[in-house]
Amino acid sequence: MEEQVGAFWHRWVTHTASQRHPEAAVLLEDIQKSLGVIFRALGGDGGLKVEASYATDHFGQRTLLQRIAGSDKRVNNSWRDERALLLPPLVDLFADPGLNRDLYIWLAMLAATPVEAGEQHWIEQNRNNTVQTLQRFPGLRQRYQHLAEAVIALRPPVEKVSLSQRITEQAIQEVILHPDSAPPFPLDYKVGHIQPIPLWLVLPPDQLGVQLSQEENGAPPPDSNEKSPTKEPKNKKRRKAERTENPDGKSGLLALRMETIFSWAEYVKVDRTTDDDEDENAEERAEDLDHLSIARDQQTSGPKVKFDLDLPAAEYDDMPLSEGVLYPEWNYKTHQLVKDQCSVIPLLAVRAESCGLPDALRMPARKVRRQFEALIPSRTWFRGEADGAELDLESYIEFAADQLGKYHGEEPSLYRDFRRGNRDLATLLLADLSLSTDSWVNNHSRVVDVIRESLHLFSDALSRTGDRFSLYGFSSLNRDHVRFHQIKTFEEPFSDTIRGRIEAVKPGYYTRMGAAIRHATSLLVKQPASRRILLLLTDGKPNDLDKYEGRYGIEDTREAIFEAKRVGLYPFCVTIDEEGGEYLPHIFGPSGYIVIRKPEELPLRLPRLYAQITQGNG
Amino acid sequence: MESSLPYYQPHANEVELFEYAYNNQLPVLIKGPTGCGKTRFITHMAAKLGIPLNTVACHDDLTAADLVGRHLIGDGATYWNDGPLTRSVREGGICYLDEVIEARKDTTVVLHPLSDDRRILPLDRTGEVLEAPDNFMLVVSYNPGYQNFLKGMKPSTRQRFISIRFDFPAVKLEQQILSNESGASEDVVKRLVSLGNALRSLKDHDLEEAASTRLLIYAARLIKSGFDPVESCRCSLVEPLTDDLETAEALMEIARATFGK
Repeated sequence: MEEQVGAFWHRWVTHTASQRHPEAAVLLEDIQKSLGVIFRALGGDGGLKVEASYATDHFGQRTLLQRIAGSDKRVNNSWRDERALLLPPLVDLFADPGLNRDLYIWLAMLAATPVEAGEQHWIEQNRNNTVQTLQRFPGLRQRYQHLAEAVIALRPPVEKVSLSQRITEQAIQEVILHPDSAPPFPLDYKVGHIQPIPLWLVLPPDQLGVQLSQEENGAPPPDSNEKSPTKEPKNKKRRKAERTENPDGKSGLLALRMETIFSWAEYVKVDRTTDDDEDENAEERAEDLDHLSIARDQQTSGPKVKFDLDLPAAEYDDMPLSEGVLYPEWNYKTHQLVKDQCSVIPLLAVRAESCGLPDALRMPARKVRRQFEALIPSRTWFRGEADGAELDLESYIEFAADQLGKYHGEEPSLYRDFRRGNRDLATLLLADLSLSTDSWVNNHSRVVDVIRESLHLFSDALSRTGDRFSLYGFSSLNRDHVRFHQIKTFEEPFSDTIRGRIEAVKPGYYTRMGAAIRHATSLLVKQPASRRILLLLTDGKPNDLDKYEGRYGIEDTREAIFEAKRVGLYPFCVTIDEEGGEYLPHIFGPSGYIVIRKPEELPLRLPRLYAQITQGNG
Repeated sequence: MESSLPYYQPHANEVELFEYAYNNQLPVLIKGPTGCGKTRFITHMAAKLGIPLNTVACHDDLTAADLVGRHLIGDGATYWNDGPLTRSVREGGICYLDEVIEARKDTTVVLHPLSDDRRILPLDRTGEVLEAPDNFMLVVSYNPGYQNFLKGMKPSTRQRFISIRFDFPAVKLEQQILSNESGASEDVVKRLVSLGNALRSLKDHDLEEAASTRLLIYAARLIKSGFDPVESCRCSLVEPLTDDLETAEALMEIARATFGK
């Protein structure tokens, strides 16, 4: 009974204390894409994603009721860091959903305004950006005024603010309402005591923390970007984290029972395998914590993971075809192509046994072949043939004219015929064989099975069209070991040996896409065809053990694609990564990729897609 | 067009360059995104030089015979009918092949002898070899932005032309062009150009093509004649640029931010 009453009270008081309007809430995920477009259109960096921000504490005044209810202690601010533009996951400040939506749009526009160089106070910065944005888009003025008034209405009236804060609050309200004309902001105020201002961007919280700690110890901030890949939770909400010192082992709480210290531990056979299981509730717990503390020791977790993915012994591995070939890598932070960063090792599965088309694929293969017949529109009328399907009227008229003119030429060729011409095409298919392809797409098959089937059907269909093609696969283990599996070169005829090699592909390691694309480019560029297509088949983002992750990997891949385009290749990406829409346009351009939502459809879709992108008057 | 000379606002030295090319009998290739003024430039130049203009809009099915000509039947006999290229070579003037990469490959064969110093057009069917008169000029254009794996210009063809790259005009110039073409007020023109440039920065990421000057002129004309500015932007800028609903909604937000509502 007491519990029930307590729960009821809690519900009632938090609801009453809350000044929010859940019924009018606008969710970020609903308009994320539009916000991204707006952000980029106004000059925002195309490499930044739009994502949800995490809640941070604020120390502004709360109403009495809010204090009683213990709610509204934390707030979702908006800010921009080097990877993303972070906006609140939902906005429900106003009763009018239109206003909530306008706030999102306003924030995206404000964030896109270029930041002026030089140290500037964040409030002044926001004011400058506001003025600039309003000048560029005069149509916004009215909506901004509405928003500003609505935001002011949420703030405590100036008279009710404690005396110490009154001047600051008044100045803030003035800047919000009249950004162009308000007097300069008084700089002596306590930063923590300002009520959150949803209309403005704040400094990134980690930067704020770093700035504080830097002031404390004078040490440079640690580079937080270099970390080993971890499993990303599905819910990609960012969390507030702080760095704490790693215990030095000399001080602190000793969490050991004293009597064990001086004794030898004897070996007891205990099955502890479950200890190594991932804590499934970790995500939930992280949610509950206010912030996560991460200690940094001198070791990276890289070597531990590497142990799991160690290279097979030489006698079991595929045969290296040559020494590693060196390729550069793009560092987006310095805007430089760093020479000889990656070593690509071409490998050949010598142990693969040749085999025919797997029985399960016979039916689909027949279907694809039929589709190819119909879809490849390279069949054209060939005129002036000595024999053919029907009379060629034009040749006949010519012939008749010659006859009338008493000119008798050679044997007339008066027929025309409908058949397939030669397509001047060369296609290199590069398949991602990283370990992520080991995951299951449904109850029957893994991603790699789907890729394998796709390779089978693709090669089967292409071998019948006469188009020149080659097949390669890749994976990587750090920059000095990018494995490039040769399945079929352009010179090799398609045969059961090739089918055997397709059967032998297996997933392993990571996805250093840039280096693999550069190597594929170097192979494809040697082909004499007038159209050269680099078809990339993948299941996710580029990543590798070292810094090759997130934006670094994406930017390097993008650069590799630019390089391929510059030498006249046509790169095209086929992915089954549902989130591909987020980063692929940045790498391949809007029409340079396709996301296949149902991976199991890939084997059938791939040949059809090939037919689509190559159709034309070749 | 009010005056006899079609309006054209030069971006750089292209007018002068074109005149030099014409005087030296050099063929010209113009590349640039759609709606940046390629066709208008040629019309302007033809009028300025006082020579006739023959425009051929190329398409996937355009064959060499369509350009050169063919035999037709009439009155129990056949007779030869000149194609637009042949007619242009006979009469002189500019022959302008718009979007030349769209045309079939065999057309390049007839263009090659015309575009080098031979300046001849051999008509295989009739056995004639036409020599181009001094005032004949071959001009081709294409849009390098289209991504079709099978279409592109052969290097051997490209290397026969003086090439001029066109791009969207700078802000001030574009404002001038817009107000000249539409007669819209300075304020509207300024806002439209600013909107256009915002949309252009989305090319290659969210949009396939950049917003063209032509589209901006359309919008300016609609607004000038009294249509609602934001709606004008929707139908002349946003919808022509994208089919994706979310992208369209985002573009509309930018249009609203520009014109207010």
